[in-house]
Amino acid sequence: MIIQDRPNPIGELLIVLEYWDHIFAGFLLTMWLYVWALMMGFFLGLILANLRQYGGWFLSRISTGYIEFIRGTPLLAQLFFIYFLPSSLNIPVGDWKIETSFIILNKDITIILLDYRTLAGLLALGLNSAAYQAEYFRGAIISVGTGQLMAAQSIGMSRIAGIRHIVLPQALRRVIPAWSNEAAYLPKYTVVVYFIGVKDLFSQAHRTVAFTFISLTTYVLIAIIFLVTITLISKGLDILHKKTMIPGL
Amino acid sequence: MQVLKGVSFELGEGEVKVVFGPSGSGKSTLLRCINMLSPPDKGEVYLRGQNIKAPEVNINEMRARIGMVFQHFNLFAHLKAIDNVSIGLRRVKGFPKEEAREKALEVLDSVKMDEWADRYPAELSGGQQQRVGIARALAMDPDVILFDEPTSALDPELIGEVLQVMLDLAKSGTTMIVVTHEMGFAKAVASEMIFLGEGVIIERGTPEHFFISPKSERVQNFLQQLDVLYGSHEKLLK
Amino acid sequence: MSDTPTLSEIIFNIIGRGLYHTLLLTALGLLIGFILGISLALMRLYGAKELAWFSSGYEKLFRGIPLIVLIYVFAFGLPDILWYIDPLELRLGSVVLALSLRSAAYQSQIFRGAILSVNPGQMEAARALGMKGSQAVRHVVMPQALRLAVPSWSNEYSVVIKDSSFASAIGIIEMTQAAYFVSVNFRELWALTYLVLAVLYFLFTYPVTRIFGERQSKKLKKLGMGGG
Repeated sequence: MIIQDRPNPIGELLIVLEYWDHIFAGFLLTMWLYVWALMMGFFLGLILANLRQYGGWFLSRISTGYIEFIRGTPLLAQLFFIYFLPSSLNIPVGDWKIETSFIILNKDITIILLDYRTLAGLLALGLNSAAYQAEYFRGAIISVGTGQLMAAQSIGMSRIAGIRHIVLPQALRRVIPAWSNEAAYLPKYTVVVYFIGVKDLFSQAHRTVAFTFISLTTYVLIAIIFLVTITLISKGLDILHKKTMIPGL
Repeated sequence: MQVLKGVSFELGEGEVKVVFGPSGSGKSTLLRCINMLSPPDKGEVYLRGQNIKAPEVNINEMRARIGMVFQHFNLFAHLKAIDNVSIGLRRVKGFPKEEAREKALEVLDSVKMDEWADRYPAELSGGQQQRVGIARALAMDPDVILFDEPTSALDPELIGEVLQVMLDLAKSGTTMIVVTHEMGFAKAVASEMIFLGEGVIIERGTPEHFFISPKSERVQNFLQQLDVLYGSHEKLLK
Repeated sequence: MSDTPTLSEIIFNIIGRGLYHTLLLTALGLLIGFILGISLALMRLYGAKELAWFSSGYEKLFRGIPLIVLIYVFAFGLPDILWYIDPLELRLGSVVLALSLRSAAYQSQIFRGAILSVNPGQMEAARALGMKGSQAVRHVVMPQALRLAVPSWSNEYSVVIKDSSFASAIGIIEMTQAAYFVSVNFRELWALTYLVLAVLYFLFTYPVTRIFGERQSKKLKKLGMGGG
């Protein structure tokens, strides 16, 4: 077995790091997508969970149907569907973009904050995350127990007031461990936008490989960046959780 | 599945009715019919002459006038004791924050829980939690308070403090319907006792009637069993 | 095919050309993940400190890396070093490897949780009968743990079969790639094609998770298992 003669990993790493500005731009875009997708998933997920748990026969079923379908199908297929939908319906999407750039260490770093591709990617990620978050919220709502809502109504609160002031505050606290899980790992899923040409961290890695022909080191570097980011987010949320604890909740 | 098969009674101001009977007889369901948490399929409920089942009636307003104390306390776990008591005043009755807090403290004081006002339910014992639960219902100045087996989930040594609060309430003229097996309590303050079995009233009467000469053998047996289990609780009452 | 494909043609093409690899990748990924996952779980629960530490680290590592990156590390990173292996075989192997390693990390957690939820009294009773620790685990704890793991495991199956769609990125013809091929020349059909693709995946995931998921959980609780 002959292992090819090649420059040492450190040497390779240094070559790859010459492209740090592109990699960094990719990282920023990944984070940008992550934050928006997480927020969208949070609000939509919360609505879906409430509809599924407290909505009438009709709304509850629609919500359940949405959740089960999104969770039962690949994110990639969902992304392609959303991305190609306008063109299949002959709706023009235009060639527009909103971007921002700044200069760091003499390098110009530009990221496209929003254009059609980015929007499609965001929507797909947000709609997808919403379905998963909805299940976490629903689990938390159920764990609060029916007695709480009963007690709220027994002092004259309407069902909606009871849900808003008594059930949800408790559910949102109880959901933190499971939700932190989703929040910490969502960055992983944003890479899917690579398939529609959004210049996220993975795309930039790919591009760097095209220029340097150094694949293993580059991809390993990207993997490490993801790992570190996810670990930091996870630990950060843990600390937040400990700081906001209420006895017994 | 029909739980209650024909129950009817009246409750006067300041009366204390004790409802008891075997499990499955519909006692809890009865209470939940009264405050419409589980509206009766047939039959009506009148609060001070007003039919609260009528569609034009705002059921939340009615519930604010009917208090409930639960077997498992159901205190709002994310709120401190004082907030548990004041939230109804603030959100349902529209009291301003300060006034609500003051009144809540007063009520907590009456159940001897004022020192624990800033504690969370998880930090309180069962008996303490239940007293806060009573305070929460009391704070709304209800026309009547429903008690659903308030001491059944408590450890024996904690039952006394809750029964004492209930006794004081009864003696001070609060209108109460109490589902319980604490016969000592019934003996002390009940104006009428109702024995519920299989969804119907099997016997009703004053405590004296029940403890001296109950009519049905079934009730006699039941009371004997209760005495075996709960007889010693009379010592808990001062 | 020079005419616009009909709906049934789309469906048959996706299934006909892609189902084999989708199922193959899923089965291999789950199976290897299972063997590795159970080992990791046992390591972490009953193993020496170093083994437990390794298992824990493994989990964190493979949960923190996007699957597609993992696939590329193996598909393009490895040929760098193992240049003598035919890239085509390597591609299939890379995906299976990536899926397995990732699944093992999650299955490890599933089985660890399941073993921990077996009533501790079971272990006590087994040892009181005179069984050795390892016997108790093998004959009393594991059978129950495996049953308790069914709901979560059915979810993992769903995850792996969905993840197999990423194999399309490196040219393996599974369902997603087949979907691309069937309507590649008919732009106006793309959205529909991917919708159909999604529904087909759904047919493979929903029935399984419905039957073996929550319903199973409730059944198990009724039997008195778990809750330890």
